[in-house]
Formats: sequence, C-alpha cells, structure tokens
Amino acid sequence: MFDLVIFGQHLFNGLLIGCAYALIAIGLTMIFGVMNIANFAHGEFYMIGGFFAFYLVSLAKINYFLALPLAVALVVVLAVVIQQLVFKRLRDAPVMTTTLVTIGLSILLENLAHLLWGAQPQTVPNPFPTSPMSFAGIYTTPLYLFSMAMTAALIIVGHVLIQRTRMGKAMRATFQNKEAAALVGIRIDSIYLYAFGFGAALAAAAGAILGGFIPVEPTMGGVATLKAFVVVILGGMGSFVGAIVGGLLLGLAEGLGGGYFSSGWKDAIGFVAVILLLLFRPDGLFKRG
Amino acid sequence: MKMKLFVTAIALALSGAAAAQETIKIGVVQPLTGPVAYDGNIYANTVKMLVEDMNAKGGVLGKKIELVIEDGACNPAQSVNAAEKLVVRDKVVALLGAFCSTSTAAMMEVARKHKVPHITGISTAAQLTEQNNPYFFRAVATTPMLGSAFGAELPKAVKAKRFAFLVINDDWGRSMVASYPKSIESAGGTVVGTEFFQSSELQFLSQITKIKSMNPDGIILAANTQHAAALSKQIREMGITAPLMGEGSWTSDSYLKLAGPAAEGVYGLVEYVYTIKNPINDAFVKMSRDKLKENPSKFAGAAHNAISIMVDAIRRAGSADPEKIRAALTQTDYNSLVGNIRFDAKGQAYGQNVYLAAIKNGVPEVVATAKIGKP
Repeated sequence: MFDLVIFGQHLFNGLLIGCAYALIAIGLTMIFGVMNIANFAHGEFYMIGGFFAFYLVSLAKINYFLALPLAVALVVVLAVVIQQLVFKRLRDAPVMTTTLVTIGLSILLENLAHLLWGAQPQTVPNPFPTSPMSFAGIYTTPLYLFSMAMTAALIIVGHVLIQRTRMGKAMRATFQNKEAAALVGIRIDSIYLYAFGFGAALAAAAGAILGGFIPVEPTMGGVATLKAFVVVILGGMGSFVGAIVGGLLLGLAEGLGGGYFSSGWKDAIGFVAVILLLLFRPDGLFKRG
Repeated sequence: MKMKLFVTAIALALSGAAAAQETIKIGVVQPLTGPVAYDGNIYANTVKMLVEDMNAKGGVLGKKIELVIEDGACNPAQSVNAAEKLVVRDKVVALLGAFCSTSTAAMMEVARKHKVPHITGISTAAQLTEQNNPYFFRAVATTPMLGSAFGAELPKAVKAKRFAFLVINDDWGRSMVASYPKSIESAGGTVVGTEFFQSSELQFLSQITKIKSMNPDGIILAANTQHAAALSKQIREMGITAPLMGEGSWTSDSYLKLAGPAAEGVYGLVEYVYTIKNPINDAFVKMSRDKLKENPSKFAGAAHNAISIMVDAIRRAGSADPEKIRAALTQTDYNSLVGNIRFDAKGQAYGQNVYLAAIKNGVPEVVATAKIGKP
C-alpha cells in the first residue's frame, strides 16, 4: 500500500536533514578544497556552535535570534585562533601530517567540551511553539521550518559569496592552483584564514540551529564529521555544488531508505552509496573546481 | 648499633601506623567519557557519596572503604584494561561495573581470572549470567525478566491494544523486542511493528513516520537520557498522541528537564524511581538532594544496590578476602531500596520490585509495581 502522505512526510524529513548535512559538508569541502586539509575536527565546530548557542540563550539570556549569529561569531574566533596557532604552521606539511593533527584536535576539543560543559545533553531554548502543525497531513513544527529555511538560506548565501565576490574569486583561484594564485598577488595565508573561518562558521551555524531539536552533547561531533565526509565524497572532494547535492541526496536516501526498507540499516545506506560511487565514479558526482 | 635499633623502631612504628590506616579497596569501572558518560558519572558520584557516608559511620569491619574509580568509556577493551589495573595495581578486593553489557561481559572475565567478586547494577543483557562465572553477580533484572513482569500489565495499565516498538539497535533493544511481545500477546495486545535506531542518531524522523503509518495506540521504547528526550519530542512533533512507555532513563530528572512538556504522560518501565516510599529510599533521596543537588535516577539506584550489597557481603564475610566475600555474596538476603534481593545459583538477583511510573506534572508517580520472580 503506497501512502502519499507518508511519502511526503519521509520526503520532508529527508530534506530537513539533507539541508543540515549540506551545510556542514560545505565547510568541510571548502577547507579541503582550498587548504588541502581533511578536517576531522569539523564536527567539533558543529558541537561547539550548539553549546555556545545553548549557553548564550539559557545562561546569558540573550535573545534567541541574536544568540545564533553570536554563537557562530564566537566559533569563528576560535577557528581563527586554531588556524593561526596550528594550521598556519602546517601550510606545506604533507596531508598525512595535517590529517593526524585534525584528529588530535577533534579529540582535544571533544574532551575539553566534556571538561567544561559536562556530558549532560542540552537543547537550545527557542521561542517557537512546540505544538505540531500539519499541511495536508504532513506534520512539522515552526522550529523545523525555521531550521530548514535558515540552512537553505545559508547555503545560498555561501554560494553567492563564493561565486560573486572578489574574495570568493580569490578562493576559487587558490582552489585551482595555489602557486599561480600567489603569483597574481593573492595572499594565500589570508585566503586560508577566510576558508577555515567560513567553513567553521557554517558548521557552527548548523549546530546552533539544529540544537533546538537535536540534543547538544560533547560526542555529537564525531557522527557529524563522518556524515560530512560521506557527503563530500559523494559530491566530489572540494566541490561546493557537490556538497549541496550530496547532502540533500544523503538526507533523502536516509529518510526514504529508513522509511521504506529497515531503520536498522539507515546508517548503512549512506556508506553503501559511497562504496558504490567510489567503485564506479571515484571522483564523486561533481568534479572539483 | 644503637642507631640501627632506633631506625628499626621507627620503621616498625611506621608500618604499624600504615596497618592501622589500611583500607578496604573497592574498584569501580564506569563510563566517565563517551556516549553514556552522563549516566556513568551519576553512578560514580552516587557511589562516592554513599561510601563517604558509610565511612563517616565507621566504614566496614572497622576499616574505611577506599574507592578506586576508573573510566571504561562503554568500551570493552578499555573496561578490561581498567579492571586489570584495579585488581593488579590497586589490589582491590571487589569490583563494581561496567555500564554497557558488552563492557561488563569483557570485565567479568577479569574478575574470573583474578578470582575477585564482581557486581553489576546496570547491565541487563541476559547472557551475562549464563557464563558459569562464579565471581559475577547481577543486582538488576534482565530485560526478559522485565518483559515478563511488565508485558502482561501493559495493555491494561495504559489501555492500549496495538503496540509498536522503537528501540536502540543493540543487545538491550534487541532483547526487548524478543521478550515483550509474548507477554503482551498473552494479555490480549498485538505488536504492529518494530523499528530500530543507532546510538549515534539523535533525529528519528524516518522511524517515527514509519511508526505513524502503522497507527499504534501505544509505543514501547528503549533509550537513555539524550535519546529519550529527542524521541519523545520528535514523536509529539510528528503529531502522534499514543502513550509512550520506555525502559531506560524515562523518569530521571535530566530527561524530564530536557524533554519538557513532551515528557508529560510518558510511562517509565524502571527498576527504580525516586518517588517510591520506604525508609531506605527516603534517606537516599534526601542525601542525593543535599549532596548531588538532584533526585536520584535509576542509575543512582543501581549504584546504591551494587555498593550496599557488596559492603553487606564484606561485613558478613568478616574479612576482606575476595574468596570469602564471594561466598558471602551467594548467601545475600538484603533489604535494598527496591525490596528484598537474593541471588540465584547463576548470580542473578530476584525478589526485588520493578515499577511502572507515569509522569504527571513533571513528577514520576508509581502506577503499578511488579515483583521479579525467581528465574
């Protein structure tokens, strides 16, 4: 029996999660594309974004809509510090070295979060009514709609920044050829700083927004990193459009796959997709560039 | 010569002083980091609080109890290392822990190897007490035991007929869906569907949508704090109004705070809830509120059971010899927080109460009590 309403619900769920996956993955793919760093600490920025939003709203009593950008700004400050202290010194290090450093960084940040904030899961308090609303039988809440709109808007803003601004152009030039970009006068160090800060900002935004309905806790970064890598490999390492499409595809595949096959196998779906893709299209759906 | 005598005298005096300060060491392995760190820390803090209280009242056998707590991180390898370290280096005479059944399964072999008595208050996987391990004792009912105690009560207690399961995809969740349906069906209910989620997941929309399409009038869940909070919120957000019944942290303060209004009306199928009335529990709740600033959760209750039964056995053994403590444990007849507890020949506890508690205005109220029969 095929129920259109249930299908619509699965579709909506998939898009909601897919937007979040895309937002986290864009940051990861940018850092990879520009800096050639596979950032295993990316999910930790997502986690810290969630915690900052939680503390700003619940402890500092800052307005929810103000707290979200503030939390993101604080994570950017943290990312800039990390970039200046750590990755700036590793600009010409082999990818194995930087990968190990990011793994270490992820362990450090996760355990710092444990130490500072404890293991108790938190949700970001938000002003939206919790009662569900229904459109033609498809249920959602104002918070879900807000999250979806915000993540989609941020994805579009990111896209415009990369495609239309001078900075974005410089980033894309560095993407293509670091030496040539340096030759025409692009300051590679500042491009790296922008890419890292921007990537961290997108992950933090996802954490702050989703923190309203997905509990924030210190270990949540690991799964986020893993999913983001799935998306980035699906979409093509370093491809912005690929990260968006890959994120939506993974969200939909999990939503529909979990709904129509077995929820016990939900996580396997994404990874099977990656294995198939690597077998038949090792460069990903979209080539880098 | 005189000097030498003097030194010997001092050495003797010092060793005498050391003997007087000798303690009875109990080792604890709990997940202080990792995915269940929150509940593991509650256990560890509760044991610390209770031991401080016991020591203030004179300890056991005239000696102070010394706790050595190690982090097992819900990881079998790390839990084994922690238990080895506790026995070999710290020379503990008894072990408590670990939290996750897989870790406990690994840890109990260390207890067997070094012949040290070991109690778990939390791990419910049925096969743990089937290992012919004379050093292992479990002070909590297994999931199948809970299933047969509760399953038959559920259709009447929550006035539901069509049940769906949404449980964590591990041995706990799997053994729930293997044990509840039989007793539910014997009481006139049916099971319309079963869905699983991974411990790494915190959004369950596709499972919930699928369950919604089955149209159940009761949903049975297995989840600890962060999953439980996310599940109850998301189930209500998807427009499902059927009552929820959960094994796990469904009556703890942290769950109630996190889930907020979504916790209202939820039923907890629990081994312990802080609102039960008896003198031991009254004192325990008061102490927890004073020292830990919260109502004890079921993990705190598990900690209370495990440490009290172990110390009771040491007292009855009259010695800190692990073999004598083990022998005393087999004769346990202890009046605990949750009623009288004994162990059967496999080291499985029975005789204690389990509770069906409903959340009303943010407070879990006991609506039905069942007794765990001798297995």
